[in-house]
Amino acid sequence: MLQLTLKQNPPVPLEAELISPDTLARMSLDEIRALPLQLGKHRRRLDEFFDISGAPGLELKLIGDLSRVKWLGRGMSQGRIEIVGNAGMHLGARMKGGEIEVHGNTGDWLGAEMSQGTIRVRGDAGGQVGAAYRGSVSGMKNGTIIIDGTAGLEIGMRMRRGLIVVGKRVKDFAGLQMKGGTILLRAGSEIRAGAWMVRGTIISLAPLPLLPTFATSCSHNPLFLRLLARQLADWDIALPALDDQGTYDCYSGDSSVPGKGELLIWRPRNGSTVQ
Amino acid sequence: MLRITGGRVYDPANGVDGQIRDVCIADGRIAAAVGDGARTLDASGMVIFPGGVDVHTHVAGGAINFARAMTPEDHRRTVAFIRTQTQRSGLGGMAPTTFATGYLYAGMGWTTLNEAAVPILSAKHTHEELRDVPIVDKSCCVLMANNEIVLDLLENGELERAKQVVAWQIWASKAYGVKAVNPGGVAAWKWGKDAKQLSETVEGYRKLTPGTIITGLAQIIDELGLPHPLHLHCNNLGAPGNYTTTLESMKSLEGHRAHLAHLQYHAYGGDDWNTMRSETEAIADYFNAHSNLTADAGAVLFGNTVTITADGPWQHLLYKLTGRKWGNLDVENETGCGIVPYTYRPSNIVNAVQWASGLELLLMIKDPWRVSLSTDHPNGACFWRYPEILQLLMSADFRRDCMAKMSEEAKRRIRLPELDREYSLFEIAIITSAGPARALGLSNKGHLGIGADADIAVYNQDQDISRMFSHPRYVIKHGEIVIEEGEIRATPLGRSYVIKPQYESTIEEYLRPLFEDCYTMQFENYPVELERVEHAELRNCIPAE
Amino acid sequence: MRNRADLVIYWGGNPAECHPRHFTKYALMPKGKHLPRGRKDRTMVLVDIRETKSVKAADIFLQIRPGRDFEVLTILRAIVKGQYVNPAMVAETGLTIEQLRDLVDRMKRARFGVMFFGMGLSMTRGKHMNSSAILTLAAELNAYTKFVAMPMRGHGNVTGADVIMRWTTGYPFGISFDRGYPRFNPGEFSTVDLLVRGDTDAALILGADPGATMPQPAIDHLARIPTIVLDPKVTHTSRLARVHITTAVTGISAPGTGYRMDEVPLPLRPALKSPYPTDEEVVRRIHELVRVKPDWLVHQPRTTQQVF
Ligand SMILES: [Zn+2]
Repeated sequence: MLQLTLKQNPPVPLEAELISPDTLARMSLDEIRALPLQLGKHRRRLDEFFDISGAPGLELKLIGDLSRVKWLGRGMSQGRIEIVGNAGMHLGARMKGGEIEVHGNTGDWLGAEMSQGTIRVRGDAGGQVGAAYRGSVSGMKNGTIIIDGTAGLEIGMRMRRGLIVVGKRVKDFAGLQMKGGTILLRAGSEIRAGAWMVRGTIISLAPLPLLPTFATSCSHNPLFLRLLARQLADWDIALPALDDQGTYDCYSGDSSVPGKGELLIWRPRNGSTVQ
Repeated sequence: MLRITGGRVYDPANGVDGQIRDVCIADGRIAAAVGDGARTLDASGMVIFPGGVDVHTHVAGGAINFARAMTPEDHRRTVAFIRTQTQRSGLGGMAPTTFATGYLYAGMGWTTLNEAAVPILSAKHTHEELRDVPIVDKSCCVLMANNEIVLDLLENGELERAKQVVAWQIWASKAYGVKAVNPGGVAAWKWGKDAKQLSETVEGYRKLTPGTIITGLAQIIDELGLPHPLHLHCNNLGAPGNYTTTLESMKSLEGHRAHLAHLQYHAYGGDDWNTMRSETEAIADYFNAHSNLTADAGAVLFGNTVTITADGPWQHLLYKLTGRKWGNLDVENETGCGIVPYTYRPSNIVNAVQWASGLELLLMIKDPWRVSLSTDHPNGACFWRYPEILQLLMSADFRRDCMAKMSEEAKRRIRLPELDREYSLFEIAIITSAGPARALGLSNKGHLGIGADADIAVYNQDQDISRMFSHPRYVIKHGEIVIEEGEIRATPLGRSYVIKPQYESTIEEYLRPLFEDCYTMQFENYPVELERVEHAELRNCIPAE
Repeated sequence: MRNRADLVIYWGGNPAECHPRHFTKYALMPKGKHLPRGRKDRTMVLVDIRETKSVKAADIFLQIRPGRDFEVLTILRAIVKGQYVNPAMVAETGLTIEQLRDLVDRMKRARFGVMFFGMGLSMTRGKHMNSSAILTLAAELNAYTKFVAMPMRGHGNVTGADVIMRWTTGYPFGISFDRGYPRFNPGEFSTVDLLVRGDTDAALILGADPGATMPQPAIDHLARIPTIVLDPKVTHTSRLARVHITTAVTGISAPGTGYRMDEVPLPLRPALKSPYPTDEEVVRRIHELVRVKPDWLVHQPRTTQQVF
């Protein structure tokens, strides 16, 4: 495993799209030390900012407050990055496979336009998680993003497939213009969830404000939630899916598009709680 | 001073067809000879063309600039130009930035372009953008056929006064030619309507028809003696069955000169999208028999692009067909304009017909001097894909390979499978340079005779035609080497060609109250001052007796 | 527009006080060729969260609850297409379903409709999505009639900056040149976000006074880093700047082009002579001095694949 420890907090954002298992695994330590990073308008060597230990391989550990370091793991297709500390914007953007785990918080555009792979954030994430970049037709095309804490605006914007799970309350426009896939909001959201959604599913375990362009359809426990619950159990995340616990109120919309998205809001049976 | 030796020269205007000879350059022009001190470029194994001339493109002004804002996703996936000491930064793609536009045109050997759609109200904007398009020389066509003041005069049969107004407006916009877009149709679109038939009265008028607008403008332009004839975007662009409208338009032009823009978009048969087919043969037959006309192809290539024209009805139709984002600009009183990103696909029969029709016209029009290469950039394809079209024109086998991917149904709707013609390099030099220069009336362009502008493209002779024309070995602009082996060496500012047709100064007194009535801009602010046009060069009109 | 627009909607703006010429010269009062009676031939609708002076000029005033613009616009899109709207929730917007249906009827019946939107829409909760909502609504109305939507921007030549950035870089604002070519990401590269996060180590400010309008963390950062201000007068920003260069007032004593908010260019002809240099001269001279410094991009190729 290769370990990179941040020596000093960069004075301006540092763009480090080359720090990813795909690039580093093929390199010698000397090549890695000389790897170009972009500090503002200047090009700098990796070893100006990082202490390097361990051996190059598909496993990568980054240590320190990297909240100013952008584009870590961009487009990675294999291997694993573990970050002990915070990470900056665009972490895992366009990733095609592999795994990222962050013991800290991340910036905006986490896993933006990713097509495969898994990201787990133990802290909070910024906005535009798994989203499409401005003007792009679709956001994440597959893969899984799990955030234990909160997330910002426009998570899952234009996502097509895949799963986003957020543990605490997210800000406005969750699932904006969503085209497919699933967003699980374990603690609900602020306003405008599902705005302009075309297809896909947003599940909320807490009540959330609805847009007037969503219609009530029914109240039940769809079968696919049991599959999802099983999948989430691997991550130690509980999803109520059994009739004795309660039911989901289903809404469809956004009729302004007009869209066929689904919003499922959990209504626990009296006395039953979700942890 | 420069001497290029050993290359095969293709200079159709002077009848030179691939002979090996020296080309000498002094003071930015082609010279008979240069002294011994001249730098010599060895062009052995290379071919020498006069620099390319684009007779119809959209690279500057409000509409393309709106398209830029609408397509950030495309900007990101293109190759970026990095700022250096000689080169400004920029982005290529469907709607390239201004500096990149100059680099990309010069980068494939094109040195002159004609911006085909300038609304008078925002001509100042277009000129400001053109100033930031380096290397190439430029001209532009001002939009006229939906200008209400002109339409009102044509409605009332006041041709002489209309002529004065047209002349004044050309000079006010510092234009080089006049373009008519979907005559009467854009004006109607402002009401959400379209003008479909040439003999139908335009919405909002008593007797004015698209036909009378076309004839009137063509006559005015001939009488004013503009170097470039009426530049006509016919009615019914893109619609199945529109070839009859095009034939009617051509007939209404008999006795006048005219240039038909992006003819491909006007050559369809069928009754609707399900039955649409190519009717290029009917168009080409008429065109071949009438030497008063020139045209550009408006060819389509498969792939992504953004469609932008002053033809609002067509744009909204595309928006409805594709469901993709739409922008609609409204320029007061003059023209509207819509913008939709679009992908042409070989599996789509309509697109297949469009792709074939452009090539068919280029192959069925017998006189290459009267048909120019164009894609109506960015509508049919981006201009930087011209080399792909040259390959299609030069190789019937390559065309067959491309058609192999198309459905049998699509092949029944087109004529391309029957066409075996292959362009020679001599003919390529005509449709890319000598022909469009002549259509534009730019006597100093498109040839390598003594005194001509030394705008030259030198290509490595290569079996791979597309590669050959994409990467010139040298490009020379006004005697200066601007591209050498794919690298940008210099980025001089090009010139802007402007004409000043004759008009009586009293016409301003007539126009002033109309302006103050119609427009929200002060009359004084309307004309573009000549000082604001970078490197302006005045060209002459030869008025008819 | 002056000649044709028979339905004029102002949304989240107060033209009577902020853009008075807009009414008189441009959109509302003038007699047009196809609207010979001027104001009488037009219907004016004002949508805002409070009664402003513009209400007097309106035929219809729709007062919506603060922060509900996006909801109202989204409801309108649904009504235009005859789609479902939850009647109970419409009330939360401060309007009734009848009012909204009536507005949609007028929109569809108009021969040419235009919507102008102000900062009350584009700078409140939802921001760019509110703008996007009104632009989308206008695009969709074109299935029925001719409709456009247009922002009413603040003072100064904001539109001009937007237009020129677009033709030189492809993007309107929020652009980074760090990598030697333009990149765009509002939220990441927009000035206010850069300053709030403290992501820059110098600032050059031209034709703006962020010290008066930006959030405190952004202002604090400007005071912390070397900030250079070009401005004809003393401003909040110039007071906290390391360097203030006094320049001539563009349009009064410096020539140029102004872009009207509908992107129509207007020549600016100087009426007075100024002892101060123009902004352009100052930037040109700074550029000349920067140019002779070693180029930090020399190791780069001339063209490149982009980072994103
Ligand atoms: Zn065109």
